[in-house]
Amino acid sequence: MNVLQAGLAGALGGSLFALMALGLSLTWGFLKVINLAHFGLILLGSYLTFELATSTPLGPINTLLVTAPVLGVLGAAIHLAYDRFEVSELSSLLVSYGLLIILVQVVHNIWSADFQRMDATVNPYATRSIRLGDLSFPLPTLLAAAFGLGLVVLVGTIVNRTYAGRALRAFGQDRDIASAFGIDHRLIGVVLAGVAGASAAIAGMLFALRGTITPDAAFEWVGLVFAIVILGGIGNVAGTLFAGLLVGAVSGVVALLWTPSHSPLVVFSMVVLALVFRPEGLFPRRAGRH
Amino acid sequence: MTRSTRIVHAAVALALVVSACGGSGTDTTSATITTAAPQSTTTAGAETTAPPETTAAASGEPIVVGSTLSLTGAFGPTGVIHQIAGELFIDRLNEAGGLLGQPVEWDLRDDESVTDNVATLYEQLIGQDGVDLIIGPYATPNILAAMPIAERHGFVLPQHTAVLAPTLTYPCQFPAWSIGFEPNAFIPNQLADAMDSLGGAVQTVALVTNQSGSAAFVTFGRPDVEEPAAQTIFPERGYEVVANIPYPPGNTEWDAIAAEVRQADPDLLMINGLGVDANGLIEAMLALDGYRPPMIFALFPAPGPLLALGSSSGIEALSVSIFEPNESILADMDPSVTEIVEEFAERATAAGVPYTVFETQAAASWNAWEILVQGVEGAGSLDHQAICDYLHESGADLTFAGPVEFDESLNNFWETTLGIKQIQDGDWVMVWPAERAAAELRGPTS
Amino acid sequence: MKGSRGWIPLAAIALSIAVLPWLRELTGFPASYLVLLSGVLFWTAQATSWNILSGYSGYFSFGQGAFYGVGVYTLAVLVGRHGQSWWLALMFAGLAGLLLALVIGTIAFRLRSLRGEVFALLTLAIPFILSAIARVTDSIDGGQGIILPVPDYPDFFGPFQQFIFWLSGAVALLALAVAYGMVKTRYGWALFAIHDDEAVAEGLGVPTFRHKMIAIAANGLIAGLSGAVSALQVGFISPEGTFNLRVPLFVIVMSVLGGRLFWAGPAVGAIYVVTLQNRLAGGFEGWSLIILGAVLVLLVLFAPEGIMARFVLRPWTIVAVVAGVLAALALYGEWGDPVTWFALALGGAAVVALVPAGRISGRRTAPASGFGAASAHPGPDLTPPAIGDTLLEADEVTRRFGGIHALRGVSMRLSEGELLGLVGPNGSGKTTLVNVLSGALRPTSGSITIDGADLVDMAPHKIVHQGIARTYQIPRPFNSLTVRDNVVIAIMFGRDPRGLSASRKAAEEYLEMMGLSDLGEVRPGGINLHERQLLEMARAMATRPRILLLDEALAGLNPVEIDNAVAVVRRIHRSGVSIVLVEHLLRVVNQLATRIVVLDQGRLLAEGDPTTVMKNPAVVSAYLGSEAHA
Repeated sequence: MNVLQAGLAGALGGSLFALMALGLSLTWGFLKVINLAHFGLILLGSYLTFELATSTPLGPINTLLVTAPVLGVLGAAIHLAYDRFEVSELSSLLVSYGLLIILVQVVHNIWSADFQRMDATVNPYATRSIRLGDLSFPLPTLLAAAFGLGLVVLVGTIVNRTYAGRALRAFGQDRDIASAFGIDHRLIGVVLAGVAGASAAIAGMLFALRGTITPDAAFEWVGLVFAIVILGGIGNVAGTLFAGLLVGAVSGVVALLWTPSHSPLVVFSMVVLALVFRPEGLFPRRAGRH
Repeated sequence: MTRSTRIVHAAVALALVVSACGGSGTDTTSATITTAAPQSTTTAGAETTAPPETTAAASGEPIVVGSTLSLTGAFGPTGVIHQIAGELFIDRLNEAGGLLGQPVEWDLRDDESVTDNVATLYEQLIGQDGVDLIIGPYATPNILAAMPIAERHGFVLPQHTAVLAPTLTYPCQFPAWSIGFEPNAFIPNQLADAMDSLGGAVQTVALVTNQSGSAAFVTFGRPDVEEPAAQTIFPERGYEVVANIPYPPGNTEWDAIAAEVRQADPDLLMINGLGVDANGLIEAMLALDGYRPPMIFALFPAPGPLLALGSSSGIEALSVSIFEPNESILADMDPSVTEIVEEFAERATAAGVPYTVFETQAAASWNAWEILVQGVEGAGSLDHQAICDYLHESGADLTFAGPVEFDESLNNFWETTLGIKQIQDGDWVMVWPAERAAAELRGPTS
Repeated sequence: MKGSRGWIPLAAIALSIAVLPWLRELTGFPASYLVLLSGVLFWTAQATSWNILSGYSGYFSFGQGAFYGVGVYTLAVLVGRHGQSWWLALMFAGLAGLLLALVIGTIAFRLRSLRGEVFALLTLAIPFILSAIARVTDSIDGGQGIILPVPDYPDFFGPFQQFIFWLSGAVALLALAVAYGMVKTRYGWALFAIHDDEAVAEGLGVPTFRHKMIAIAANGLIAGLSGAVSALQVGFISPEGTFNLRVPLFVIVMSVLGGRLFWAGPAVGAIYVVTLQNRLAGGFEGWSLIILGAVLVLLVLFAPEGIMARFVLRPWTIVAVVAGVLAALALYGEWGDPVTWFALALGGAAVVALVPAGRISGRRTAPASGFGAASAHPGPDLTPPAIGDTLLEADEVTRRFGGIHALRGVSMRLSEGELLGLVGPNGSGKTTLVNVLSGALRPTSGSITIDGADLVDMAPHKIVHQGIARTYQIPRPFNSLTVRDNVVIAIMFGRDPRGLSASRKAAEEYLEMMGLSDLGEVRPGGINLHERQLLEMARAMATRPRILLLDEALAGLNPVEIDNAVAVVRRIHRSGVSIVLVEHLLRVVNQLATRIVVLDQGRLLAEGDPTTVMKNPAVVSAYLGSEAHA
């Protein structure tokens, strides 16, 4: 029972990190940008949620009405800058690291280095759960899984079913060819980066919902999120969500059966094995469908 | 080359010049806490050994105290508390006539929570910028990095928070927060004492431990030495350890640990963690159909978030403390303490810090500054050997710890004033030991 | 990469490191400078060692923290837990870094599917694994960290900072010397070639696996040593303080800022970043990370090739600016301390390096040599060689890609002195056959021998050493090397390997043969398609092959260029090299070939002398059948 509970709760917890990984994977796969600033956007998202929920009657989840557009625009603007300067994949890593530390300092200056936390009257979700038989599902991570699934469906639809989406995939594979077909890469890039920015807002909101936030949190996410991006396959949105659930479930079970200190050992060994044996990610896209 | 590109290049150039120039500011401007001329003369009640003030205002060449703090990075949340406390102390000191009649300046650097930076910065403060005195950084690894530099230069090093007594061997290192010479034995024993007083309500213990630094030290002792620690002391004292779970720093697996704790169902959950670890675990347990062990103890939590969680969920969690500004405690102390507590809260609010109560960390910071100041005043000079000797001979009289003595054979660790606090009716309240308590320890709620 | 007197700065650095502590005793400057410099030297060693693998070969590693951390922990455990002497521990730390590197290299570089990206991600995971191992293993760390006593070192070294300074200096020097030595020898050039196009490098005789292993071994050894020295200095070791993102990210930042293609680039980056960070530590509360981030962003955007790349364009101006700023500040300055002066001088140098960026990069985009396409040197008129013994023999070669049969049992022979035309409609398997013969692809079944030696399981670079060279249909030059250096690589690693300077001289011969002499200093981006195809042939010939595989070397050329290329091929043939000429233009094949092989749908359709084969009804229908629809 406990193993099942730990695995399920772990998987749901993993979905929060999957949500963080989605935006990163999307821009990496399709726009060839390793955008570390994404972690800064998530951080900003969680602080904006905290601020708005605390100072307005919106409630923490509804803050998305404000934060998603704001971070979407910010994400798009950052991408426009990358695009304007024709930043390469390698350079994007460094430039976005520069942006990340700037964002962290800005958050630090506005909200102080100390822990911030939404009051229980503002955020009743942190300790709530939904019960199913003998199993409990913590509400914040359940929401993360739901949002993750929603995003996967949304992005999957855009990518697979629309003209713009097919263009996007062509763009991810070959910019020149895509341009030759009259695809406006700048517009597509901006839209995609905007979606990634909005996903950062969702991830940030859910992180704030779970409990306490500090400016340094942005750096703590990096390892796990990258592991999920790699396992899911870069640019594979559904794979990212699955990878998140898998990583969460595995580390939850390892934590229970062994110790939590062993979880990173198992998760990152999984990453190495996956790279050696399945370099395209654990969930390769069905080939030749488009 | 377009015009706009050229402008951007010019901007780059400017940015570089600015960033390079900025270094010069270190010596004179923003880094130092200004020695504003005092408006009023308040006697700092703390300094009982200080000579009577002869002048209203400090004058002459400023005495510069150098230090680093982790203003950014992982230790940032606590670094800012030490910063505010230190600034408050210096302002009050200068208002009261300064040190040896001279104003005091604080040359504060940000070590970014990176241990490697600490050594370099202290070396620079002492060797290059010629500060007169130093005070310790925050966090055990950083203090351990600063200590050899201080030793090499023969500088007295009062430090706030390193409690791993056996490893702090420099004779002129003075701890401002003492848990005695054996914190690994003291903390579990004190907690067991408190549990004993509950008349058998607590019989089983679960240990959940952050596998880093002093938190792990309290649970396991040193890995290569047989010595008492929580995992051996509780069984010796008749408590059954029903779970012993280590987790890594930055842990995200609270749900799994919560499930394991629920299964073990202990009477006392001892979370030997840091920062918001206890919050993460308690929230995860509550999400398991509102499960909560009857008693919860958290070792070094961030006080604000845990208080908020405890108050809203009715969990009367325990933790360690050397000072809580509870009314009955303040009533027994010098009135200046109330002033300090209030002024600290004002400054913390202005700095945007969410939890503005002057408690353990701030008190440790205050102790460190008092040790430094009393050492200098006692020696009557800035000669470090003299300061060190004076402190060894005469000890110090600390506002938040009373008179203390520094015994070199115990690495200057004095008899502890550490106690246990508990969340009661929306506040942290000192509850143990009884003679220093502001309220009675409350047992299991159910 | 250039500057043959590079050893002078290297020697100067060595001398400075050696005498600086004594100078300190003489002049009495504070020991804090030594500590700051030790920091610069530590990062120089780390970044330079990273750059040897990742900057030179392009195999981007996020795993610097693993090598560094293994060094740190080896020393910490040996000294802190077992009381071993510091120098023994130091040696073991280097060894541990080396071993880890070899293990990672053996796994990662043996993977056939491995691309640069996969390598980067693989190395990203390693430090996390090591960190968890250190934390859960009581005999390594156990999670509480290790405290190191000040080591018992000889009095000769003086104060502890001085001891650390010398140790850091020695490791940094080792790193710089290795980096410099590589740039000046075949080792580095092999890595540059791997960076630009690994398959082509292998196809020119570069043993790519061995060179990647050498590079990662150097990376691991130096990073391990340097990590161990830093552990001695810091004195307190913990898993979270060791295996974090700081080292892996900073080495990348420093190397890229400094210039990845220069041996001193990472060191320059280290000087900049360490100085800037140090100046930002005090007095910039609330701004330090913003300034650091902004400087990083701007430098990467406006000098993506690194500060060194700009410095070498105008070295004396930079030296003058640094000296000028320092002199001015020293003369007039009551203002700031020497470190601040130095920081200002560095800032000035960076500004000077950056401001004229536009003009310099304009020049860098190489002269367009569209005018007067190179015309090959006529050379002495040689007679066609006589046909000799069988040289290359393929027997029942098949090759499948998944379910697709690209070759279905092809058998063919090539004799000495032959110029074999390999023709067939699109998709008939010509290029696959070339790939199989050159070792780029392994046949699914069948055998291939040269002079009786089996080629099937041979690595492509060994096949080159057996005397087979190839060109690519779409030229694949090493874009970051000049035309001459493209040829130099082939000479250094070909059948008759030579050293760098000898190869530089020898390259002229091949450039002249192809009529590329005037373009020797141009980068491939600046020459036209025809010239690139000639470069392909020059490179292939520079490996001194017995057999040359020309894969559609005339594709996309205009008639004048075709005539020129035909002349070149003929001359190569007459110089005694056997040729397999894959070609679409039957006119050319008829003109050149001594014999023709026709492939259709992966099968050998016909072979014989040109006139006979072209009249073969099966060939006519295969050709016209498919050509008619094309």
